[in-house]
Amino acid sequence: MARSRLFPRRRDGHVEVKLNGHAREFIAQQMQKVVDADHDAQHPWHSHVHSPMNPSADTDDPLRVLQRQKETASNAELALLTVKDEQLTLVEAWAWLTTMQIALRNHVVARGAFENDSLEGIDEAELSEIRDLQYLLFELAKALE
Amino acid sequence: MSSAQPLLTTRPEVQTDNKVATEKLWKVVVWNDPVTPMPVVTLVFKKIFGYPQEKAEQLMMTVHHEGRAIVWSGGQDRAEHYVVQLHVHGLLATMESDD
Repeated sequence: MARSRLFPRRRDGHVEVKLNGHAREFIAQQMQKVVDADHDAQHPWHSHVHSPMNPSADTDDPLRVLQRQKETASNAELALLTVKDEQLTLVEAWAWLTTMQIALRNHVVARGAFENDSLEGIDEAELSEIRDLQYLLFELAKALE
Repeated sequence: MSSAQPLLTTRPEVQTDNKVATEKLWKVVVWNDPVTPMPVVTLVFKKIFGYPQEKAEQLMMTVHHEGRAIVWSGGQDRAEHYVVQLHVHGLLATMESDD
């Protein structure tokens, strides 16, 4: 199904990336933030990337925590490695989607907007990043349907 | 008449000290957030759980309107696996026991 204009799906299953340099630079910055958040315990997104899995337990299963961390990190790194590619495999396209989605969610969680269920109080520049990520995710999701 | 064992067996109960204890049921809960595009949630439900489009959309709408939805229930191991996968895909998910 080649319904997306930004990410048309080719007959061979690959996803084309029709983004200009500015859009790619924006996405690369978001992907880099997820990589940094995973590696840097002081990063403002770090605690949100590592949120509890089972709030009813005192501690999470360490193997599950490690699995989540490894998968999140490898998706973000794969996405970053392929950010200049003209076409993506399905695995790479999913790595883009999951990494952009984590970036999107962390923009909001870090501002405490989940509690308010609104985006009030978020400054215009960050709101613009959120809108851009939403649009890109919406388009990429169409390619992966 | 065949004496072959069934290929599929279920193990809903655990025998302990001559008593029958039912395995605890765990629920995987996905929570609403104000920014995730709806098609992304539907897509992730289809990928992780293998749900058809209609069921995935229905669950997504429940999350959207009610603030949360139980998207799966069953054993603890699989519940943990699904929560990990939902987190890896950027959705807010938790698990809770059916006490």
